[in-house]
Amino acid sequence: MNIHAYERLWVAGSMVLIVGFIATITYGAVGLGITMVDDGEEPLAPDEIDEDERFGEPRVEEVGDDEYEVYVVSATFFFQPDPIEIPAESEVTFYVTSRDVIHSFTVVGTNTNTMVIPGEVSAMTVEFDEPGEYGIVCNEYCGAGHHDMEGELIVLDPEEFEERQEENDDDVDAIEVFDHRTATAGNGELP
Amino acid sequence: MGESELRRETGGDEPGLPREIGHDEFDPTGTLALITLYFLVLVAMWLFTYFIEFVDNDPTPMLLT
Amino acid sequence: MTELFAERYPEQARLVRAALLTSFVALGVGALFGLLQALHRTDVLRIVESPTYYTVLTGHGVFLVVTFTIYFLVGLYQWAVTDSLDRGPVNPRITWVWYGLMTVGTVLTAITILAGFLDDPPEVLGSELSADVLFTFYAPLQGNPLFYVGLAVFVVGTWIAGADWFRTWWAWKGDNPGERIPLPTFMVLTTMIMWYLSSIGVAVAILAFLLPWSLGIVDSVNPSLTRTLFWYFGHAFVYFWLLPAYMLWYIVLPKLSGGRLFSDPLARVVFILFVVLSTPTGIHHQYLDPGIAEGFKFIVMTNTMFLLLPSLLTAFTVVASMEHGARQRGGEGTFGWLRTLPWRDPAFTGMALAGLVFAFGGFTGIVNAGMNINYLVHNSVWIPGHIHTQVGTAVALTFMAGGYWLVPQLTGNRLVGRQAALFQVVLWFVGIVFMTNSMYRAGLDGVPRRSAEPQYAFDYDISLGSMAELDAQLALGGVLLFISTILFLGIMALTWRNDGTEPVVDGRIPPALSGPEDAPRVIDDLRVWTALAVVLIVLAYTLPLVAVASRGGLFGPDITPLPVAVDYWLPVLADLVGASIG
Ligand code: HEM
Ligand SMILES: [Cu+2]
Ligand SMILES: [Cu+2]
Repeated sequence: MNIHAYERLWVAGSMVLIVGFIATITYGAVGLGITMVDDGEEPLAPDEIDEDERFGEPRVEEVGDDEYEVYVVSATFFFQPDPIEIPAESEVTFYVTSRDVIHSFTVVGTNTNTMVIPGEVSAMTVEFDEPGEYGIVCNEYCGAGHHDMEGELIVLDPEEFEERQEENDDDVDAIEVFDHRTATAGNGELP
Repeated sequence: MGESELRRETGGDEPGLPREIGHDEFDPTGTLALITLYFLVLVAMWLFTYFIEFVDNDPTPMLLT
Repeated sequence: MTELFAERYPEQARLVRAALLTSFVALGVGALFGLLQALHRTDVLRIVESPTYYTVLTGHGVFLVVTFTIYFLVGLYQWAVTDSLDRGPVNPRITWVWYGLMTVGTVLTAITILAGFLDDPPEVLGSELSADVLFTFYAPLQGNPLFYVGLAVFVVGTWIAGADWFRTWWAWKGDNPGERIPLPTFMVLTTMIMWYLSSIGVAVAILAFLLPWSLGIVDSVNPSLTRTLFWYFGHAFVYFWLLPAYMLWYIVLPKLSGGRLFSDPLARVVFILFVVLSTPTGIHHQYLDPGIAEGFKFIVMTNTMFLLLPSLLTAFTVVASMEHGARQRGGEGTFGWLRTLPWRDPAFTGMALAGLVFAFGGFTGIVNAGMNINYLVHNSVWIPGHIHTQVGTAVALTFMAGGYWLVPQLTGNRLVGRQAALFQVVLWFVGIVFMTNSMYRAGLDGVPRRSAEPQYAFDYDISLGSMAELDAQLALGGVLLFISTILFLGIMALTWRNDGTEPVVDGRIPPALSGPEDAPRVIDDLRVWTALAVVLIVLAYTLPLVAVASRGGLFGPDITPLPVAVDYWLPVLADLVGASIG
């Protein structure tokens, strides 16, 4: 083949670019330790959510020293629990599943972002350095009320978070878990 | 190809071609310059987007210890 | 050979005209919907109720990236095969059969989408006639069965079109033994091989799962599986939009510049790379999906990065061909030659600007391909930013510019309003710069795509400028693009009816500087490349598909369908409001 010298140079340049991009991403994965949402969680059918020990009661749970797990259920058009309160400077793993269609769980202004597919559980471990308030949105179209699907993530100062926990423990009855099924059936408005 | 074929114009209002350049006499130096610039711009934008926009948009799902 | 295409092949010209006409009608409707979206999202003007926004968005997606692009493709490819093989199809009736099938499919799908505007859509085939499922139709969102039937019929039409072109080529080969495949035909055939290999995925998704499910024959589907099948097809789908634009850049743009294609062999290599690499990359649309192993995502990321190569090669070859033209026109200097290019020719300027936008949009595609960086951009409005620089401009503007060159040859009429046409392509460029500048920047700050009201209880943290400024740019860009589209359609309509004039356009394509004789013969052996593509697809997809199907079951873990129609949601919404208050 008759390829001009400049063009050969450009092929070489292109390969440098391609390899450079792949190298950067590999560095992100290996060097920085960024993990992808993957198949690490067992599948969970939507009709088993209510009996599931994690998602039956969507909540924030302390699982170790400065380690928390958040079990989130998304459904048209809300997230449970909402708001989500977590401490800063702790390792927090979000587990998210869907009751119905495909949604996303996206903490706006951060890289905490995943698709939420019925039948699957997405897991992401993150650490917030500073207290603050974030919006959570669903960024995958999920039906007519998609744009109303939002939640709130409140990252508290670790001490403040402890205090809140203690208050809540004193007053367990005050915790009200919103149950989609009983709430709707109870209202008797579904056809 | 015939010369007249190359001379022909598309738009209608441009002057005819002043010269004909064959394969061996043509070195696309301008293209080389443009594409080198493009290479540099791509590298700069990539580094900025990856290391500033992305890495600073924390927290990012990670292996934490 | 000096005659016009319309005179040499009147029957073929009629078909190409019909295809382009359908394409342009879809462009008009799609652009109107785009304008509605741009104004609605930014809360400048909300003409429809927000739930109806998704009817509009479904129409925008389907009419533009299915109807507009693919009708233009079949028209252009029919022209390319006929012109470069210098003969018509073996059986002209088949040609009208595929055109007819595509049109029946389009009408069915369009009806189901547009019925979503009715207050009370009728029942058809056991469910409400509507399909607010967007162009990706992710289950368990469910459209009316006719939506899927229409898509399937349309795809079958394109399959027959491909077979028709292959048949024409085989007949030509019989008459011209030992000759190299002319480049335009080579491009058509390779594009269609890619299309056959990839569209199997969406055909299986529709025929085996979604259609029976929407008809109530099966109760449930596995949403991960239908989604994975969609994206098996999806990335090659985007190249299906792009390759006709590439054809125009390789075949027509050098000529418009006053030069010749720099290298025919490299153009062939580029198309082969697309055949081989377009499909085993689709999982890059699922980087943030649960249920797919990180290892698969990594492999697909590397495949996708190598898919940059054909586009980077194209950048060089096409620019070098333009430079060749400029030098022949007397251009001098390292950059000075750019000034001698025919900037007053709307066909040239449209394609050149489209290429410029594509060079930038290509960068954003690299970001999208970048696996972990996908956390930053996934499903933010950055993605429609990418869509509009690529298919919405690199492809759409090239098609419009190509229309200025092709339509006079198809109608035998002179292009009306060259100045207006030049203004039109520049206006599109300005509009797209505003609109996508807003989309890219807002996306980086977390503003989501596919949202009627991306205004929430929280405030976005805008790193540069303000939300008001970003909204203003999006709305302004949308308005400019819409005006540009109307102008284009107006010029086309006037040209179409400009009977009794002589076109000034010359349809002859000069030979490449380095011709096909410089390429080894194996390049033209399509069987080799098809086999290689199949091997790569099997390697890249067997394990992920088996994993996804076995995790959720072929027909899913009992997923209930959610028919997407506005009325259905109202009681649910009322209920939710009641529940959260009570
Ligand atoms: C008049 C010109 C146009 C305007 C004003 C416009 C506007 C928009 C806007 C605002 C969105 C984002 C909607 C959202 O995510 O909420 C969008 C999405 C989109 N546009 Fe356009 N657009 C135009 C032309 C085009 C063209 C020419 C194409 C392709 C050929 C195109 C393809 C798409 C696609 C594929 C989407 C994504 C649809 C989805 O998310 O399902 N648009 N458009
Ligand atoms: Cu949603
Ligand atoms: Cu893709």
